[in-house]
Amino acid sequence: MDDLERVLRAHPFLAELEPEHVKFLVGCAKNVRFRAGEYLMRAGDREDTLYLIRQGSVAIEMPRPGSEAICVETLGAGDVLGVSLLTPAAAHLDCRSRETVVALAIDNACLQRKMTEDPRLGFAISMRLLERTYDRLSRARLQHLDVYR
Amino acid sequence: MAMMAMMATTPYLPVAMTIARSVRELADVFTWTFEVPHGFEFKPGQFNMLYIHGIGEVPISISGDPATPERLIHTIRAVGTVTRVMDKLGEGDVMGVRGPYGSAWPIDEAKGRDVLVIAGGLGLAPLRPVILRVLGNRADYGRVTILYGARTPADLLYRRELESWRGRFDVRVEAIVDRAGTDWFGQVGVVTRLLDSVPIHPDDAVFVCGPEIMMRFVALELEKRAMPREAIWISMERSMKCGVGLCGHCQLAGSFVCKDGPVYRFDRIEPYLRVREL
Repeated sequence: MDDLERVLRAHPFLAELEPEHVKFLVGCAKNVRFRAGEYLMRAGDREDTLYLIRQGSVAIEMPRPGSEAICVETLGAGDVLGVSLLTPAAAHLDCRSRETVVALAIDNACLQRKMTEDPRLGFAISMRLLERTYDRLSRARLQHLDVYR
Repeated sequence: MAMMAMMATTPYLPVAMTIARSVRELADVFTWTFEVPHGFEFKPGQFNMLYIHGIGEVPISISGDPATPERLIHTIRAVGTVTRVMDKLGEGDVMGVRGPYGSAWPIDEAKGRDVLVIAGGLGLAPLRPVILRVLGNRADYGRVTILYGARTPADLLYRRELESWRGRFDVRVEAIVDRAGTDWFGQVGVVTRLLDSVPIHPDDAVFVCGPEIMMRFVALELEKRAMPREAIWISMERSMKCGVGLCGHCQLAGSFVCKDGPVYRFDRIEPYLRVREL
């Protein structure tokens, strides 16, 4: 548990989170590893896990029937996958590991329970998720502009 | 020397030059090399006006190595009336060339500091002379990082050269594309994403060139990382006609991009980037 707490604390997503909150989260988290080519999530899956990527690269891909998937973004160490925690939904993109990926998997139901039990933790996690969501939205907008054309 | 003297006295008079080499870079981008035996001195960041008789004249950045002035190199995208005609020309064809014009990247001032080059799309072309000058005088600079964003892997400019720079142990090169298939092993996303993994220090010299929107986003991200605006240099693009600050076509507030630019210190130009009418 101490080791998991140390790893949680080291991830940028949880940086500066109150130490007691990190301890509180330990019960919801586990270390996971994906081999190259494995899917962390597939389009249509229920998003029941928040992944904090520690190592490796994940391709976010739009699958297309009958042809090659289009990669719209890659995520790496320090990134978060599954930010729809606040508004649970089915994943609409495939998330494929491009190399060995090491991550912390946080069970969404467990996390939501803890966020409800401790509103200060809930606020801290919500703000972090909003910040990541906003960053990703900004990047998506810039990509959408197709400025290099 | 005679040619340079003539250009100095008659800035509107193009000098006839023959295309010695034409290389297809991308579907709509090509690179021309002019052999200039007596040398064509320029500073990285400057541009020339290239003229096709009877068609028109366009400003094109110089993308060659300042250490080899006997080879004048331009990389051009076929995007308008003149450049589309240029796209049909090749080795042996004669062009009118006048220049060099405009301001330069402050490479000498960057000596002793880390250098961060951030390019987007065809913006790598005006930065190529910077990269070649810095790599040619590698010991004069600290860490050198090149971040490059393009639309797709097929749109990466100077791909072979990028790969060769990437193979060096004394320079870091990162490329990212807006979208890719599963055969691309590099990063996918916007160029600002590359800043996440690069150490940035307020004393770095930062040279940015690409579409104006991209440069604004890059500057914003750099500022978030405590990079002072005075350390960021960008290259602007406007409708340049005379090249010497007389016609006013490229006026940007109180400055003429052809004469006072195209390379500007970011803090001096930033207020005008937010003025819609400019």
